[in-house]
Amino acid sequence: MVQSKKQKYLFLAFCLVPTFILFSIFTLYPLFSGLYYSFFDWSGSSSSREFIGFDNYQQLLKDKIFPRTILHDYFLVITKVFGIMILAIFFAVALTQLKIKEAPFYRVVFFFPNIMSVVVIGILWTFIYNPSLGLVNSGLEFMGLGEWARPWLGDEDWALPSLVLPSIWAGIGLFMLMLIGGISNVSKSYYEAAEIDGANEWQQFWKVTLPLVWPQIKISILYIVITTLNGSFIIVQIMTGGGPNNATHVMGSYLYQQAFVQFNFGYGATIGVMILILSLITVLVLQFFMRREKVHY
Amino acid sequence: MKKNLKPALIRTGIRIPLILWTIAVLYPIIWMFIGSFKSNAEIYANPWGLPETLNIQNFVDAWSSYNIDSGVFNSVIVTVLGMFLTLVLALPTAYAIERIRFKGSGILFTIYISAMMIPMVLGWIPLFFLLMEFNLLDSLIGLSIVYAISQLPFSIFVLTSFMGTIPKELEESASIDGLSPYGILLRIITPLSTTAIITVSIMNAIHFWNEYFMALIFLQSRENYTLGLAIDFISSEAQYTNAWGTLFASLTIAIIPVIVLYAIFQKRIAKGMTEGAIKG
Repeated sequence: MVQSKKQKYLFLAFCLVPTFILFSIFTLYPLFSGLYYSFFDWSGSSSSREFIGFDNYQQLLKDKIFPRTILHDYFLVITKVFGIMILAIFFAVALTQLKIKEAPFYRVVFFFPNIMSVVVIGILWTFIYNPSLGLVNSGLEFMGLGEWARPWLGDEDWALPSLVLPSIWAGIGLFMLMLIGGISNVSKSYYEAAEIDGANEWQQFWKVTLPLVWPQIKISILYIVITTLNGSFIIVQIMTGGGPNNATHVMGSYLYQQAFVQFNFGYGATIGVMILILSLITVLVLQFFMRREKVHY
Repeated sequence: MKKNLKPALIRTGIRIPLILWTIAVLYPIIWMFIGSFKSNAEIYANPWGLPETLNIQNFVDAWSSYNIDSGVFNSVIVTVLGMFLTLVLALPTAYAIERIRFKGSGILFTIYISAMMIPMVLGWIPLFFLLMEFNLLDSLIGLSIVYAISQLPFSIFVLTSFMGTIPKELEESASIDGLSPYGILLRIITPLSTTAIITVSIMNAIHFWNEYFMALIFLQSRENYTLGLAIDFISSEAQYTNAWGTLFASLTIAIIPVIVLYAIFQKRIAKGMTEGAIKG
């Protein structure tokens, strides 16, 4: 292109600088200053900010609720990974390998909850779990299992497991599509070869499909883990608000409560730092364990 | 004969879980639509049945006495403003990263992309005070800016990968014809990227329309509530007011634009989301 160096850099600056300045102000700066705030005792007004070093972190170690929020987070991570992956793999294989005429219909329907608002999903499911009007309890009574009916979201033992179902319900479609994309790229000749070797459908699934879509499975698992650790608190906030008796609080909802309800901003930032550290560690560990040689046939 | 029977049997067997899941997905949504036409008495008498008459009173109530009108209005503002801002900010950056050689372009791209993986909850506390300082707290403009920046990484990612497919010759000949780089960006690249721009905008629009948590933190007065907050407010009050019908009507109002977009752009949305997820 015919232009002087100066013009080139002017144009580059025009393209990059305004965006990067805004990005720095609204994304990079808050992340770093969140780290900084975690060393302060701070209730919001500028005069009350006091540097306390690692006191917030020590308090975190003594906090009785915080370890439970970590457990709750990982409970959701594990149940979601297994629930979503098993169903998504099953649906993806069923829709690609067996010639089902109405497959596009299922694809369209299963994906839809992925673009629904968490508010809508949360409220809808809160009503499904409603003790007196909800679908779950009416269904149990209808089947003669009335004694199993309970106030699902109000029960300390059942509230957290009850949050898994809506998350799976809302998540499956996306991962099913990602896996379908992977399976469609597997060449037909592998299956033909497997068939000639006498492998049945089940063996074909384990020996051909699964190893060849492993990259997609790996990405899906990582994505579920990241989005759960970074975002499960939204559905918690809408469906239970962390209750009953903190039985459903995850790290994010606990941060919200500490910072924006009780105005312990420094302590909230400390929880935020822990979320950041834990999710980074989790992703690194997962990537290490899921490292598997790419399969070539 | 036997050979043909077996796959057919399997196919029928496989359909059962598929159909069950279809029901699990559709039933709550359809039931929400139906519920929005039922009076409270009907919901209590028969929560999962059909309404006797089509009653639009719930919609009228939600719209006029439960702040859904301003919720819709505010959500439209942040959605449109956020969508527009994201494009203005993302397009030039995506073009520069993809097409102009400069030192650090790789690093810059990595910084934007890794922001997609980092939990932003930590940043929301300082952001709260930052917006307060800028007088943008409890402001729809402030929220739109925050929204736009939050979707920058995704938008830059999709736009750069699309711009990589535009042939370079077009820019070269335009530049020989005397068009400045600004002109090339505005008159050549932007129109040629329409496909990607539409995909990104739809994804962002759905995201902003549905967003709840940042709105919860950064908006405070009820007249600024976006639709999600307004509905959440009705929901938390419904325990006492028992206005279930109104609640369903407002949920229906919230979901209809998403259904319409999905009906028109189903393929694009599915593709945009899977591609956005695969970046890792």
